[in-house]
Amino acid sequence: MASFKPTKIPVYPKLGEKVTQDTLYWKNYKAPVQIKEFGAITNIDFSPVTPHNFAVTAFTRIHIYGPSSQEPVKTFTRFKDTAYCGRFRSDGQLLVAGCEDSVVRLFDVSGKVALRMFRGHTKAVHVTDFTSDRYQILTGSDDYTCRLWDIPNATDLNVYQEHTDYIRCGVTSKLNRDLFITGSYDHTLKVFDARVDKSVMTMDHGQPVESLLLYPSEGLLVSAGGRYVKVWDLLKGGQPLVSLRNHHKTVTCLALSSNGQRLLSASLDRHVKVYSTTNYKAVHNFDYAASILSLALAPDDQSIVVGMTNSMLSIKHRKSPEESREISGQQRRRPSYRVFVKGKNYIPKQDDYLVSKPVKQYLAKYDKQLKKFNVSKALDCALEKWIRLRNPEVPLAVMKELDRRGTLKNALAGRDEQQLSRLLSFLIGNLVDVRFAPVLVVAAEMILDIYRSILGQSPVIDRQLLRMQELLEREIDYQKELVEVLGMLDTMFASSLPKMEVPCSSVSRSNGLSQGEASTSRPQPQVT
Amino acid sequence: MATDSGISSLQLPCVFSPKSRQYLALCAQDGRLRIWNTDSKTLHQEFVPSAHLSATCTCIAWGPCRTVKEGPQRKKRKSEAVQVEEKADLLAMGTAAGSVLIYSTVKGALHCTLDGGHSGGVNCVQWHPEDSLLYSGSDDTNIAEWDLQTGKTRSKWKADRAAVTSLCVSPDGKLLLSAGQTIKMWDLDTKEVYRKFTGHSTAVTTLCFATTRPPDSNGLYFLSGAAHDRLLSVWQVREDGKDKNSVVSFTLTDEPQHIDLVASNSKEEAVRLAVVCKDGQLHLFEHFLNGPCKKPLSPSCTVQMSDTKESPMPIPLLAAALGANTRTVLLAYGNHLQPVMEKVEINTAERHVCLTRDVQTSLSLSMETTVSKVKTPIVKANCRVLVPGLPGHQAPVKGTSQGSEKRKKDTDTKEMSIAERLGEIDLSTVSIEKGAPKGTASLQTDNFAVLLVQGLESNDASILNKVFQTRKEMVIKKTVARLPLPAVLPLVEELTKRLQGHPFTAVLMVRWLKAVLMHHTSYLASLPDLVTKLGVLYHMIESRVKMFHKLTKLHGKLYLLTTQVATNDSSNTVSDVDHTAKLVYEEESSDEDEASGDEGLPDVDSDVSKTG
Repeated sequence: MASFKPTKIPVYPKLGEKVTQDTLYWKNYKAPVQIKEFGAITNIDFSPVTPHNFAVTAFTRIHIYGPSSQEPVKTFTRFKDTAYCGRFRSDGQLLVAGCEDSVVRLFDVSGKVALRMFRGHTKAVHVTDFTSDRYQILTGSDDYTCRLWDIPNATDLNVYQEHTDYIRCGVTSKLNRDLFITGSYDHTLKVFDARVDKSVMTMDHGQPVESLLLYPSEGLLVSAGGRYVKVWDLLKGGQPLVSLRNHHKTVTCLALSSNGQRLLSASLDRHVKVYSTTNYKAVHNFDYAASILSLALAPDDQSIVVGMTNSMLSIKHRKSPEESREISGQQRRRPSYRVFVKGKNYIPKQDDYLVSKPVKQYLAKYDKQLKKFNVSKALDCALEKWIRLRNPEVPLAVMKELDRRGTLKNALAGRDEQQLSRLLSFLIGNLVDVRFAPVLVVAAEMILDIYRSILGQSPVIDRQLLRMQELLEREIDYQKELVEVLGMLDTMFASSLPKMEVPCSSVSRSNGLSQGEASTSRPQPQVT
Repeated sequence: MATDSGISSLQLPCVFSPKSRQYLALCAQDGRLRIWNTDSKTLHQEFVPSAHLSATCTCIAWGPCRTVKEGPQRKKRKSEAVQVEEKADLLAMGTAAGSVLIYSTVKGALHCTLDGGHSGGVNCVQWHPEDSLLYSGSDDTNIAEWDLQTGKTRSKWKADRAAVTSLCVSPDGKLLLSAGQTIKMWDLDTKEVYRKFTGHSTAVTTLCFATTRPPDSNGLYFLSGAAHDRLLSVWQVREDGKDKNSVVSFTLTDEPQHIDLVASNSKEEAVRLAVVCKDGQLHLFEHFLNGPCKKPLSPSCTVQMSDTKESPMPIPLLAAALGANTRTVLLAYGNHLQPVMEKVEINTAERHVCLTRDVQTSLSLSMETTVSKVKTPIVKANCRVLVPGLPGHQAPVKGTSQGSEKRKKDTDTKEMSIAERLGEIDLSTVSIEKGAPKGTASLQTDNFAVLLVQGLESNDASILNKVFQTRKEMVIKKTVARLPLPAVLPLVEELTKRLQGHPFTAVLMVRWLKAVLMHHTSYLASLPDLVTKLGVLYHMIESRVKMFHKLTKLHGKLYLLTTQVATNDSSNTVSDVDHTAKLVYEEESSDEDEASGDEGLPDVDSDVSKTG
């Protein structure tokens, strides 16, 4: 005797955004911690040594936060005016910061008073950084100059006056102690070598440069300014590689994920975009509440810290492995895999007597009813509320199966007001869906045939029918317009090609609609 | 890059009249002074200084109550006002241009202008409690003492190295506090510094005496609050001069915006303090001022307000005045242009109180009565409207006489809601499109091209939704026509995504798609890989219209049945004709209930306006 075949539930492709590895990775952060600072947050820098504290420069203060604390563990307040660009040295011991009053201050992370004050600039200093040998400081100022300072005796070693506008960003090489790069509002990036007195390379960004980033390998340089993010190849003499335009307002900040595979850019348009560094396509997007001025990633991407113009600091921590697993906790209640595997791998020896046990077939509720030929009940089971809402393809498959057996009419007939209205609301919800329409239209016609005589007796049913009618009216109007568009497209294709042909090559690239349609169109001959 | 400069200058002055708290004077973003009656909750007077946009009002102070002669016409209308002998009348306004305006609420007109005292903007004005003297502190670091009898400065002295940001006259009228870089206490008879207090690193915005006792008994206290500071400090003026640090501090959630204080007259009486912060919360404090207290004090009660929507949004409180007993508080909330005033009983036993108010309805209620009391500004025909540097200012940029006429009319009649105004703007643009020839450039935007390009570039869902929700054919056409060519293909891709949705929303997308195909035919046809680019779209449409035939049939069937039902109903119940008709109409307008629609109960129907 042939065993009962359970109803096959077709799998339809999901519409909408595709879930990629990147979205999973970047969504795996907890709800952000929001901290109110005293003014716009212009810079965030992570300490290179564990516990990876980070310095937040906002208004006249620099706060240092611990990796998990929501209160600053340390505060530097000895600034006469707005502070800028608080950065750690590579050993995490010293912190340097510029100020609106043109004095650069060097702090011991454990102290409170500035260890050194570097005076010499005549205007606000927006850029500060340590060189890789740890004994010198690079600064860039609004007086168009950048300087190198000696830390021990607080004197300037060299002054570079090549830029013709404010210098607002700069980085030092981590590999070579003499190399540094500055970006200015005069649209240029200049690579300087401390061993010679002038710049060794100049690149034109085309917009006032707001932020710079060196790849760890230091072969590539990323610059942000205006709405553009540009990548330059330093080894090829500053050749532009890529120009990205994914923001609609000025890009203010750049960051690189820990493995160097993803580039992040933050902008005044309140977005943070994540790009893949292999093909420079945007792979993810974060939205924030206000314009973003600063962005930093903790080592290993443990947290994303974003500073905004409305003086809010937003810290997102990565979920720990236990927390991210808790989401799929429901499956864990089953017995472990080992229980099922036990003895499975045993290969029967020659004189073993083999007893084969039939595999028990578990049937879904509607299949059990189908097996007993309770067609109405099977349909009822499939139309349970949570099934109907969550996977509408189940009731659909049951309907299709009933139709194949020729008993759909019986299943639909003989229902009271409540059951009928449930059916109708399912129809209304899914009738216009391309994937479901072929089956549902048949069912709808049957319902109308069966219940034609009792129409007008129940206001609920009448209302639903009216709604269905309106829905169909809209859909038909819509499809009419679509047909017109189709005609336009045909003309267009015809004019561009010698002979019109249906573009088959793109089927595989389409988002699965054509496959879905293929599977739904198969039962059509049986239906009619 | 945006910085935080100028944020502090956005603080809008907002003051209750003294003693009776009958009026609330408020200078909103548009530079007009509005005086609201807190009893009837209506607009009492509106005054537009002649230079209200170039020299915005920076501070307001009510003069001390004085007996006033009632005008005859006012007497008739307000018979009860005669019994009140003392009435708040004069209002001093400091402007950013350095002049001080004195406005009389009884006359409803400008009383006089005090000019020539300051070279910088006025930051604060304070009245002397008894004599008719006025003190003003300015950006030019001076304090000026004005004699209101003569309208001239009586004396003027340099008070600080930095701008004078705040002033306060002691209740007995003998001392004056000023705040610049440091807080200084002046003897008003000799104009000499009596004490100095240092403590705040940012500009002091608030100064207020907390006790009324004479200074010789160690019992004089005052309060100070500064910009970007979440503390209110209390200072004690001690006999021995050892008053270097603040004695008590009150913690707040944001910088203080408006404070009200009931001073204590004796040691046994607590000082009651109501502070409205910049984030719109109200904090109530009660404290006995008897010497230093190390820990910062947290509020005894915090009041917030939110609206009644499903996802409540906070309503910012603007000002608060403490009532006679400990529990009543007079609150002003909403926006500065149309604040709502309300006396509230607050259960001070609870630490946090959240009040919910429906601002929409209370606004409309108060609007119905705001008729004919409004003073219309005299706008000369040749006057020029300046657009101030204030962010968020929405002045109509129209230099024509027609514009000023329109404004006059608006203020004469009752004010329109924003929705009505928007509707009017829309109408006017449409009429311009139809009537006037294309050459006339109107200032109103008639296309979303820039916004759409921005949205496509950054893939910002909120921007795109906003653009795609337009239903106006003209706007769609113009937007598409002005779209730069590189943005065309991203737009088509975005439309392809959106075309797969529900017919109600997708219909709008078809219009966009048609407009794109019409306006950019030649560009699209010139693309070498047109077929692959538009292939997805083509397939999508093809698969969707496959069921067209059957669906139309089904619709016909359904239509026949439903019309029969409708006619049956109307013939069966003749007496109830209008009822059934109404029902049918209702049903037709109800729509948009998707898969989640449950059993079709009438309450889940949502009204979405239909357009063809």
